[in-house]
Amino acid sequence: MKVEELLGQSGEWLKGTGNDSDVVISSRIRLARNLHRFPFLTVATPAVRSEIEKFIRPRLENTRLPRKLNYWSLPEITLIERTLLVERHLISKEHAQAEGDRGVAVAGDEAISIMVNEEDHLRLQVIRSGLQLDEAFEEIDRMDTALESQLHYAFHPRFGYLTACPTNVGTGLRISVMMHLPAAVLSKQMDKVLQSLQRLNYTVRGFYGEGTSPLGDFYQVSNQVTLGKSERDIIAEMKKVVSEILKFERSWRVKLLEDEPRKIEDRVWRAYGVLKHARRITSEEATELLSAVRLGMNMNLLTGIPPKVINELFLVTQPSHLQKIERRVLEPDERDVVRADFIRRKLEGL
Amino acid sequence: MTCEKCKKNHATYHLTAKENGQMREAHLCEECAKQAGVTVKFNFSIPEVLGSLLDVKPPTTSGSKANQLRCPECGITYAEFKTKARLGCANDYEVFRTELVRLLEKIHGATSHAGKTPQTADSQVRKENELIRLKRDLESVVKSEDFEKAAMIRDRIRSLEHELNP
Repeated sequence: MKVEELLGQSGEWLKGTGNDSDVVISSRIRLARNLHRFPFLTVATPAVRSEIEKFIRPRLENTRLPRKLNYWSLPEITLIERTLLVERHLISKEHAQAEGDRGVAVAGDEAISIMVNEEDHLRLQVIRSGLQLDEAFEEIDRMDTALESQLHYAFHPRFGYLTACPTNVGTGLRISVMMHLPAAVLSKQMDKVLQSLQRLNYTVRGFYGEGTSPLGDFYQVSNQVTLGKSERDIIAEMKKVVSEILKFERSWRVKLLEDEPRKIEDRVWRAYGVLKHARRITSEEATELLSAVRLGMNMNLLTGIPPKVINELFLVTQPSHLQKIERRVLEPDERDVVRADFIRRKLEGL
Repeated sequence: MTCEKCKKNHATYHLTAKENGQMREAHLCEECAKQAGVTVKFNFSIPEVLGSLLDVKPPTTSGSKANQLRCPECGITYAEFKTKARLGCANDYEVFRTELVRLLEKIHGATSHAGKTPQTADSQVRKENELIRLKRDLESVVKSEDFEKAAMIRDRIRSLEHELNP
């Protein structure tokens, strides 16, 4: 399968289904694993990196995983294709930009991805639409157990699964719940949320992970602690935290509508109007406006638009997706025109 | 919304501050917010956080001794780990054990694993893993002309290969 064939399908997290999908975009779980007796990638020479990939790849392909995997060796695909994988949340920005032998295995429907030779030898990821942490964990745990019979993991009786960075050691488990919090942002309540999350040892990041700023009111909430608790406990605690944020966001949505209905309606319809008629639009502006439209849909201010259409627009208006769809390299100015045209076509007749 | 300072970039930071008893709002882009000294909560990298944890206390004599610890397998020192925030191999967890336990306590509030334990990989897989490692070791001992060790490794490789393909 070629990377561009992904354009023809909608990623798992874009479906707009799953529990609490008015606020929760996706539930993502990843496990960090390293192989016994190979050095970590920090000190691995190019030859060792290559050996690690050669060792892992056939074993991934032989492991009976629930869904068939496609493997891409990253040096063999273009930077635009690698960025497209980042935009679809299948690999990290660092993995796309790094050097040396490395790859990613992706299941046909994009719910599963396995990065090889990122910061750790293996980074397994399962992503589900909406709030589905238990389901995502069961899937990743099965996959991990299946892989474990093929690959001897670095495991320490006291410290658990060993990772290059001690912030991941133990379970190697990182949960990231992507949430859409426009009402909390509009009511200037986000600082409160962020402060209490930090106190509880949770990190909050933007749409594309570490080092990205929050865009379009999307926030990724992740656990920091990976050691000293069981996987189930980490998940149970995350569920509690997410349910508090959910309640908070929903109550502010209600309040906005009660206090200033015209203001919020205007914001939503204005955003829809610009998206429907603009002739040039940057990806930042598109994301902000789509966020307002998404809020309007979830508050029943704007009806008749399938959630999937809006969710997909968030993705396909990203630079690499746009260039792949157009099948050519586009300068930023040109992209803004193409993006506006694309959005208008998608919203036409809705 | 455009940044009110540079009037160029998109404003991603929306701040409220009290100025002369009056509430004032500011809308800034990432760069201008940083210049204005706004602590950016979302934009910290793990090495930075780790770096700050590692340097909580001024270096003591035992600290400088720890810095010189070196893992015989991957060759990195504890001082190198502190700057990179990444370990070199699984064995580092033994070599830097005392220091890491202190660090883990700060990061996770715990120092022992309480989660999943792997069902031991089957012996075939373990043998294959060992074979790969031995072949690599053989290359390096031949390079360093340690022929006695090379002979031992070669024997072990032969016996493993025989066990895997009888």
